[in-house]
Amino acid sequence: MSLPRITHLPSGRLLSTILHHQRLLPSIIPLTVPKRAVIQGEYRRPGQPKKAKFPWKKINFNFSKGLEGIKKHFTLLKKEFTDRWVGPEGKPIVEHMLEQNRVVWEFRGPESLGEWTVSSDREIGGHSEAYLKLGRNNNTCFLYGTLSSTPPRDGETRYSGYCTMRSKQPLASFDRKKHHDWSSFNTLHLRVRGDGRPWMINISAETYFSHQKDDIYCYFLYTRGGPYWQDVKIPFSKFFLTHRGRIQDDQHPVWLDKVNTIGFTLGDKADGPFQLEIDFIGVCKDYAHTEEFAYEAYKRNPEV
Amino acid sequence: MKGSRCLHQLKSLRLLSHAGRLLPPAAAGDNGTLFRPRSSSQLGGLQCAQREVLRHFHSSPACTKGQPARFVQEEDKTRDKSLVTHDDLFEQVAKEAKTKATFNKVIDVYTKGDIRRRGHVEFIYAALKKMPEFGVEKDLTVYNKLLDVFPKEVFVPRNFIQRMFNHYPRQQECGVQVLEQMENYGIMPNIETKVLLVQIFGEKTHPMRKYQRIMYWFPKFKHVNPFPIPEQLPEDPVDLARFSLTRMANEWDAKVTVYQLPCTDVTESGAEVTLPHIVGIQSPGQMEALAKHNPDRPVFVEGPFPLWMRKTCVYYYVLRADPTPPEEKIEEPYDPERCFSYPLQLDLDLDRDLGDDESFDVEDLDEGPVFAMCMTSQGDQATLNQWISGLQESNPILGQIPTLFRLGAGPRELQGVGDADSASRSWFPSHVQREEAHPGEEAEAVVEEAEAVVEEAEAVVEEAEAVVEEAEAVVEEEPRRSQGVKQ
Repeated sequence: MSLPRITHLPSGRLLSTILHHQRLLPSIIPLTVPKRAVIQGEYRRPGQPKKAKFPWKKINFNFSKGLEGIKKHFTLLKKEFTDRWVGPEGKPIVEHMLEQNRVVWEFRGPESLGEWTVSSDREIGGHSEAYLKLGRNNNTCFLYGTLSSTPPRDGETRYSGYCTMRSKQPLASFDRKKHHDWSSFNTLHLRVRGDGRPWMINISAETYFSHQKDDIYCYFLYTRGGPYWQDVKIPFSKFFLTHRGRIQDDQHPVWLDKVNTIGFTLGDKADGPFQLEIDFIGVCKDYAHTEEFAYEAYKRNPEV
Repeated sequence: MKGSRCLHQLKSLRLLSHAGRLLPPAAAGDNGTLFRPRSSSQLGGLQCAQREVLRHFHSSPACTKGQPARFVQEEDKTRDKSLVTHDDLFEQVAKEAKTKATFNKVIDVYTKGDIRRRGHVEFIYAALKKMPEFGVEKDLTVYNKLLDVFPKEVFVPRNFIQRMFNHYPRQQECGVQVLEQMENYGIMPNIETKVLLVQIFGEKTHPMRKYQRIMYWFPKFKHVNPFPIPEQLPEDPVDLARFSLTRMANEWDAKVTVYQLPCTDVTESGAEVTLPHIVGIQSPGQMEALAKHNPDRPVFVEGPFPLWMRKTCVYYYVLRADPTPPEEKIEEPYDPERCFSYPLQLDLDLDRDLGDDESFDVEDLDEGPVFAMCMTSQGDQATLNQWISGLQESNPILGQIPTLFRLGAGPRELQGVGDADSASRSWFPSHVQREEAHPGEEAEAVVEEAEAVVEEAEAVVEEAEAVVEEAEAVVEEEPRRSQGVKQ
């Protein structure tokens, strides 16, 4: 039987060591069904009451925006139709099959920053800051800010102090979800320059059940610090499964055919400024790496 | 065995109703009735009944007011008849000294105070919160001692129904929180923890499951850092600078030089002058590259850049140059005698297939060579001048190359070529409070010009004196002592 008050976390934002907890001491043992249901809607900032907003009020009716939208979507649609004549995913089939390296994100202009979402624990009332800008000569992205691990005073949160940068979900025409297909690759290659802090890379894949919404595959990114660039190669077999920041008992390798987003999180409990520079993020196929999965996938903890 | 146990339970239920308990049976665990079924089942029934009578008689709240006074030790000044929370217990002790010994003392006072361990859950939560103040949050023995506060064998589920229905959920959650704090601080539990957990909660309970998860995942991730940092960083700033510079350097044969040790001088006027430490690093490859550098192009001293090692942040400065423009690049032919094991250059007409292409389709970022790095506690221009003059002894070409200083107020990224012209500002020490350093500021100080450097280079001795005078002037302006300087 699970504990009535298990940790409650927003999706994809935290390391397993920095968590939000509900009330530390429940004054009474809850005899009824726990308040936190398994299926969650929008993220509710702890300490805030639920706001009732009618669904039609969320849509923005604006003519010029509508025109721009139509233009954009139809261009994308046309591109999708014409790409099929070139080959799968818009590349010739020879390239698609034999490709060994693919650069997925490179920061060569201001529009590349628009693909990323930066957030910190300011959303839950903390005091960390995180900003994203282009680095030297507009060639790299520079994520910087300050961490502060004083938890917000809302009575619920116990730990705080994180910041994260997450890529936006790729969208096809008419805002349909598109996925990254990395099934022919097995290694993630990054070129970063950090300041010695340990980061965490989170990969979020497409799931079917709503319970799996906050399923994220994580691994550590240790930066060396210093003025030299660091090439980091992490095979996808090393990513372990977490849910809401908690590492799970039943592990399985990440399914690479439908990857939604990738993210970088910092939450190492050291207050102060931080910075991370990323040159590019790519995926590659390492023929020397034959490991399928780094952790045991069989059932290790039998049910109670 | 089983029969006698049921008998005991029936007896206790009867006694419960006789004693007229007001509290609901579900909260019995909070009072910490030290029920020992296994040990008592071996003795006669009458003795057990007597013991049970004693236990339940004393467990009613009205009767226990006078009892705890007997167990109080003399040195316990904290016992008070008024309502006192467990936090206050720690506060009282905290007025003396906050050490592991006093923390253990508080736990001992609590455990010996009441055999029933009333309110042990709240006590343990309060103790967990106070651990960082007493400095014992990374001590495994203290955690084991804290787990020892739980009464043993009371919360162990005895049948499948109890196992199914989250037996004593509050205590289980408390046990999980103790392990969670251990996990947060990265402390590996040991066999004593496991034995305690089995005695307190039994197997297949939440704390035991959490312990199993810690023991599974911690060893897997212990050595996952390719740049490991020792637990205890060196205290001495020069040693710390040496360690961090060798960590950042790209070459194995980089040599660390200490240009100045921290010391405190007293000048004629009686004012104290503290000299910061200056530790630099340079490798033979960097020395060669600097020797080949074109004297017409300036070199830049940039900083301070942050380097984090666990919880400490140190700042370093970099001597670098802009990348040579393509027209000035000279391709030196490979010296065939440099390596006899394999040819360094092959003129073959082979093409690589798409399937063999191992390079990424990105333009190579050329940021210019880094010639040397240094660390100092006081990052003003005078100190860095001293570093440059120290470097000049091994790299005489620095005398002809103009050195520009680009010092910032806080941590920034390496500046690009296009940022050379910006408003010049008077330099100021970079080591103000680091927490206030705003990352968006870009303060550059382009002060030194080519002629001044050349003039100074001609008279090294006079320059050193001038630098010392400047340093003194700087220090007198700011009475705030820089970090890491010894008395």
